[in-house]
Amino acid sequence: MLRFWSGAVLRLVAVMLMASFAGAMLMRIAPGFSSDDQELNSGLSTQSLEAIRRAHLSDANVPRFYAQYLASLVRGDLGTSRSLNQPVKDLLRERLPITLVNLAFALAAGWLLGLALAIAAQTWNIPTLSFLANGLSGTFISTPAAALALVFLLLRWPPAFAAALLVFPKIYRYAQNLLQQSSEMPHVLTARAKGAGPWRVLAWHVAPIALPQMIALVGVSISIGIGVLLPIEVVSDVAGIGQLAWHAAQARDLPLLVNLTMVVTFMTVCATLISDVAQRSFVRSDA
Amino acid sequence: MKAVRVVAIAVLALTALTILGAHYLAPAGYEQQFRETPQAAPSIHHLLGTDDLGRDRWARLLYGMRVSLVLAPLAALFTTVLAGVVGGIAGYFGGWTERGCKLLIDLFLSVPWLFLLITVRAVLPLNVSPEASVTVTFALLGLLGWAASARVICAGAKDMMKSEFVWMARASGFSGFKLIRLHLLPNLRGALLAQFWISIPVFIIAEANLGALGLGVAEPLPSLGSLLRELQDAVMLRPEPWRLLPLAVLIVVISSFQVLLNKQEVRT
Repeated sequence: MLRFWSGAVLRLVAVMLMASFAGAMLMRIAPGFSSDDQELNSGLSTQSLEAIRRAHLSDANVPRFYAQYLASLVRGDLGTSRSLNQPVKDLLRERLPITLVNLAFALAAGWLLGLALAIAAQTWNIPTLSFLANGLSGTFISTPAAALALVFLLLRWPPAFAAALLVFPKIYRYAQNLLQQSSEMPHVLTARAKGAGPWRVLAWHVAPIALPQMIALVGVSISIGIGVLLPIEVVSDVAGIGQLAWHAAQARDLPLLVNLTMVVTFMTVCATLISDVAQRSFVRSDA
Repeated sequence: MKAVRVVAIAVLALTALTILGAHYLAPAGYEQQFRETPQAAPSIHHLLGTDDLGRDRWARLLYGMRVSLVLAPLAALFTTVLAGVVGGIAGYFGGWTERGCKLLIDLFLSVPWLFLLITVRAVLPLNVSPEASVTVTFALLGLLGWAASARVICAGAKDMMKSEFVWMARASGFSGFKLIRLHLLPNLRGALLAQFWISIPVFIIAEANLGALGLGVAEPLPSLGSLLRELQDAVMLRPEPWRLLPLAVLIVVISSFQVLLNKQEVRT
């Protein structure tokens, strides 16, 4: 167990470091890295313009920037956003909870809707219900997050609902396929033949088989949730980390983007790790 | 459900015909301006009206479908080749090569794909020619979308390397490129084709997301994504609901793809 955890933590740290370094490298090689919109501001003095140029030059050597960044990170300093002129720690403290609340709502609602429809379609076996559920999931799986966010903006509905509707089809489709496969297993057919009711069959015979695989989907759904929240936050003007990442990329704000890449990678890898561990322990206790 | 699949096939066939015949079906070029009738309502001359610059919306929709639905499969082909190369190398060589490739795959999968795509595209310059923007957008889709497919190909190639027919081929003196060409590639064809078909709708939606955020194909060239930018003028959607047609077309086309992929109608 200790070996598993130490390996997992090492992998997490390695992936986070590599992802943030790759993000910094990518931004450095992008055309127009050294230019800044502020240089066009005629109100700025020569000294201010020189300071802006010097700040850009200090970030130009990515390995050196990254080494300095890691040294500061060890001391708990995440650096200062060049474009927003604020400590990155403060920005994350302000914005991260907003994204986390939206993400939690989107995941909870998406899972609830997806699972409820999959269970209902499987248990009652009503063709109209299956058709409607398939149609609904088909529609939302085919809708771009940014376009759905625009429609929600028009309707003045909460943006987190849009994220929930984009997470739901993945859950529904996976759960439906899984429940269908599990329902066709010999012991489930036997239980049905012996007269067990649909809910009893679901709770005692289908769910124990399907649950470990559903747990594995938690990590994937978190990754999907974070992905769809970025365009939704940008379009709906929600002050979360998605909107911050968008701003950082457009303003070529290296310290901010490196930290955001690290945070997002941490969230995704941790979610995958936790769902892996939960799945393993479930399978072990089941055995 | 069979009827739904028939409808999906009919929709895709009709879409393909529309793309091929865009030049004949469109009343004007996608960039041609009717300066005397900007923001015109639908009429016999302009089936979907005209946009703010007086360009025919129906013509732009037809050409936009052509751009998105022709280039997304090209990007899917590129990503499948990339996934095949990385996954194939990892599965074929095993050991440290496999670990290195898997680390690269994990690295790409650790950052949510849409997050990565949008931030990378936002970093790249936007004030480029329409042709360059199309190339950048779809090349980026191909470059960033290979990791999940590579993992599937790697697992397939690894299983195959342990199979009896590969052992027999090795015992018969097959190795290197000959083994890959004659034994691995033909048997991985199914998995590669599946990844190709799965990538197409994903890339069309990704391009639409980029387009709706203003990061996609540059004006005046239309794409399904760039046409969605008209939705930003939200107050105009109620009096001019035909502005929603590109979104409806996108949903119908992608849903048709999903129906076929979901029911494994695609012969892999």
